[in-house]
Amino acid sequence: MPMPRNRYWRSLGRFWATSLAAELEYQANMAIELLAVVGNLAGSLFVLALLYGRSSRLGGWSWDEALVVLGVYTLLDGLTSAVLQPNLSKIVSHVQNGTLDFVLLKPIDSQFWISTRSFSPWGLPGLVAGAGLILWAANQAGASWQASHVALTALLLASSAVILYSLWFLLAALSIWFVKVWNATEVLRYVLVAGRYPVSAYPVGLRTLFTLVLPVAFLTTVPAEAILGRVSASWALASLGVAAAALGLSRWFWQYALRYYTSASS
Amino acid sequence: MRRALRIARVLLATQYAYMLEYRAEIALWALSGVLPLIMLGVWQGAGGAVAAGLSPQQLSHYFIAAFVVRQFTVVWLIHVFEEDALQGKLSPYLLQPLQPLWRYLAAHIAEQATRIPFVALMLAVLALLQPTDLALPSAGALLLGLLAIGAAFALRFLLQTVVTMLCFWSERAAALDRLLLIPYLFLSGLVAPLDTFPAPMKSFALATPFPYMLSFPAQLLAGMPVNAAAGFGALAAWIALLAPIAWLLWRAGVRRYGAMGA
Amino acid sequence: MPIVSVDELSRTYRVADRQPGLRGSVQHLLRRRHRDVVAVQGVSFAVEPGEIVGFLGPNGAGKTTTLKMLTGLIHPSSGSVQVAGWVPARRQPRFLEQITLVMGNKQQLIWDLPPLDSFRVNAAVYGIDDSEAKRRIHELADMLELGDELTRPVRKLSLGQRMKAELLAALLHRPAVLFLDEPTLGLDVNAQARVRDFLADYNRRYGATVLLTSHYMGDITALCPRVLLIHQGRLFYDGSLEELTTSLAPQREVRLELRHLANAEEFQGYGELESLQGHQVRLLIPREQLTQQVGELLSRFDVLDLEVSDPPVEELIGRLFRQGSVA
Repeated sequence: MPMPRNRYWRSLGRFWATSLAAELEYQANMAIELLAVVGNLAGSLFVLALLYGRSSRLGGWSWDEALVVLGVYTLLDGLTSAVLQPNLSKIVSHVQNGTLDFVLLKPIDSQFWISTRSFSPWGLPGLVAGAGLILWAANQAGASWQASHVALTALLLASSAVILYSLWFLLAALSIWFVKVWNATEVLRYVLVAGRYPVSAYPVGLRTLFTLVLPVAFLTTVPAEAILGRVSASWALASLGVAAAALGLSRWFWQYALRYYTSASS
Repeated sequence: MRRALRIARVLLATQYAYMLEYRAEIALWALSGVLPLIMLGVWQGAGGAVAAGLSPQQLSHYFIAAFVVRQFTVVWLIHVFEEDALQGKLSPYLLQPLQPLWRYLAAHIAEQATRIPFVALMLAVLALLQPTDLALPSAGALLLGLLAIGAAFALRFLLQTVVTMLCFWSERAAALDRLLLIPYLFLSGLVAPLDTFPAPMKSFALATPFPYMLSFPAQLLAGMPVNAAAGFGALAAWIALLAPIAWLLWRAGVRRYGAMGA
Repeated sequence: MPIVSVDELSRTYRVADRQPGLRGSVQHLLRRRHRDVVAVQGVSFAVEPGEIVGFLGPNGAGKTTTLKMLTGLIHPSSGSVQVAGWVPARRQPRFLEQITLVMGNKQQLIWDLPPLDSFRVNAAVYGIDDSEAKRRIHELADMLELGDELTRPVRKLSLGQRMKAELLAALLHRPAVLFLDEPTLGLDVNAQARVRDFLADYNRRYGATVLLTSHYMGDITALCPRVLLIHQGRLFYDGSLEELTTSLAPQREVRLELRHLANAEEFQGYGELESLQGHQVRLLIPREQLTQQVGELLSRFDVLDLEVSDPPVEELIGRLFRQGSVA
C-alpha cells in the first residue's frame, strides 16, 4: 500500500520547525558553536601548516588543494552537528527510556523518523564555514566552474553525505544491543578526523584501510578531487556504489536490529 | 585509614564488576583513541616532521606513547554527573558519609582497568604489523611515565570536575567541556608533537595545562629527552591550583542543589 | 466479529544468569549461562468492539508484555494475535493508524515546546489535514478540560495536565483500539478521576475499544465491566468484576446496633452470626438474600444503626493471587 509521499515531506517540515523552535530556547548555544567552529578550523589550519613545514606538498597535494579537503571535512562536520548528532545520539535514550516504542507505533518509516526528527541550527556555522573554505580554496587552486563539473561535485558531495549518514546510523543502531553506545559514535568522530587530510598523505596500509574498510577516502578526498576537476570516472562510480551499498546496509541493519528489539525487549 | 582502604577496595571492586558488564562499549571506546595512530600515519609522510628534525622512529615512538597516555587519561565525569544530577540520583549519594566524587573517581579507575586488555591487544596488533614502531621503554622511563600518566589523569579529572561543577548553575556545562576539548586536541601534543610547533607557539602551549596532560607523559614513555623535574613541577602546580577551586565549587554547588530542592 | 483476538499466546525470554559481585562477573564472562523465563503462557481471549477491558495482576505478571504483543512491539514466541484485522507484529502503517498506546511512565510530547506543537507533528505523521486536526484538537481539549495549557511549554505543566495532553496526542488520529499501560500512574486522586471520566466518555462517544492495565483498583472498578486476571503469565480469570467479587466473597457483612438487648437464638435463619456483644451484632449474609433479610431484620428488631460492607476488592484479589487460582 503506497504511502502518500507528501506525508513524509509534511512531517519533515514539522520535525524541523519544532526542533528549531525548541533549540531557540537555548540561544547561548550559538556563541558556543561559533567558537567551536572557529577553534576547530584554526586548529586544523595550524596542524596542516605544521605538517607542510617548509615543503610544498603533502601526499602530492598542494596547500590550496589540501584546504579544499579540509573544507569538505568542515562541511561534513557541520552536517554532523546539524542532523546526524542530534538525531542518532537519541537512539540510545529512546532505547533506555523505552520511548522507541512510540516511534515504532507511528505509521511512518521508523528509520526516517529516527534519522530526521531533529535539526540543530547550531550546525549551520560549520556548514557555512566549510562551504566558504571550499569556494575560496578551490578558486585559489584554479578550479573551473563549468555546469557539468559543478553537477558532478554536487553528486559526489551528496554521496559522501549518504556514506557518512549510513556509518553514523549503523553505529548508532548498535545501541539496540549496547545501551552505552554513544561511545561508538565517538569512535566514528575520532576516526573521521582522518578525513581532514587527503588520503594519499597516509602510508599505503592506512590508505587501503580508509578506502576499503572505513570509506574515509570517499568522504572528503573524492569530492575534493571532483571540486578540483580531476576525479576519475572509476573513483566517481565507486563513490556512488559505496553510497548505495552503505544506505542499503543501513536499512537492512535497522530491520535486523528491530527484529532483535521486538523479540528481546521486555 | 583502615576504613578508607576498605571503602576504596569495595568501590573499586563493584565499579570494576559494573564496567565489565559494559566491556563491549569500553572496547569501542578504546578504539576511539586511535587518533594518535592516524596522526602518526600523516606525520610519517609529511615534510613538517623532517623540518622539525624528527626521525620516523622518534615519531612512531612518540605517537604510540601518546596513544597509551590518551587511553589512560580519558575523563567522562561530566556526562554521568550531569545525568545523575538531572535524574536526582545525586541526592542519595549526598546523604552518604562519602564525598560522591570518590565514587566517580573509582568508576574512572575501574574503567581504565577494564581497558587494559583491549589496549594491550591493539598494541600487540601494532607490534605484529610494524615491529619497528614499538620500543620497550627502559624501567626508569616506564616508571616515570606511569607516574606522569597518573598525574596527568588527576589533572584532567580535576579540570573536568571544575567544569562539571558548573552543571549546578548552567545546563550548558557539557558544551563548555566540548569547547575545552579543542585546545586540548591541538595543544596537548595529541595531533602534533610540540617539537614541531614554532617557538612562540610552543612556549604559549607550555603555559597552558594541556601539554602536561599528554605530551609530557608521552615523551617520558617514548624515552625522549625531556625535563622531568619541570614537567612534574608543572603538573603539581596545576593540580594545586585546580584542587581548591574544584572543592569550593563543589561546596557552593551542593548548597545550590539543596536549595533548588532537587 | 471480535476486534482483538488472542489465541494461545506465549512469550519466553532468555535472560543471562549471573552471580553478584566481581566473581560473578568474571564467571559470567568466561561461561555464560542463560535461562528461559516464561512471561506469558497460553493466553487466549477475544474483545468485541467498544468493550473496555482491564488487565489485573501483580508486578511482573505479564500484563505489559501482553499489551506490547497486542501493539506489535514484542513478537510472540508462539500463538497468534489479531487486532482490527491485522497482525500487530508486522506493524503495517494502516494498522498503526488504528491503534494507540499510552504509557503512564513514558511521554512522547516535546519537552521544551507547548503540546500544540507535538499535536501538529502527530497530525503530519498520521496524515491528518490541518483543519481536521484543529477540529479534533478542539473537541478533545473540550472533553479533557484543557485550555491554555496547550500553549504552555510541556515542562511547565503539572503531571496531571501533562497526562491529559499525552492522551490528546495519542488520540488525535482517532484510533479504534486504545492500549493504556498504567495511564493514571502517579496522578493525584482528582486527576485520576478526570482521566477515568474522560476514557469512559471517549469510549461512549466514539465506540472505541479500550484495553488498560492499572495498579489502581479504582481505575478498574470505575471503567472496566470486564477484567482479565493474569498471574505468572497465565490468564486465570476472564469475566465481570462483579461476578469475580461475588464468587470470591459470596457473603456480605451486616452490622446492627440494637436499641434492646437480644439473644443469639433470635438471629437464627439470618445468615451466620459472627458476633454478638451487647447492642452490637455482626452477621454474614449471602448476597442473594441480602435485601430480603435486611428488610426482615429491620422490621423485627428496633435497629438504631445498620451498615452493610463488602471486603475491599484489593484484598479479595490479593488473596486470590496468593492462592493462585479462582476457588
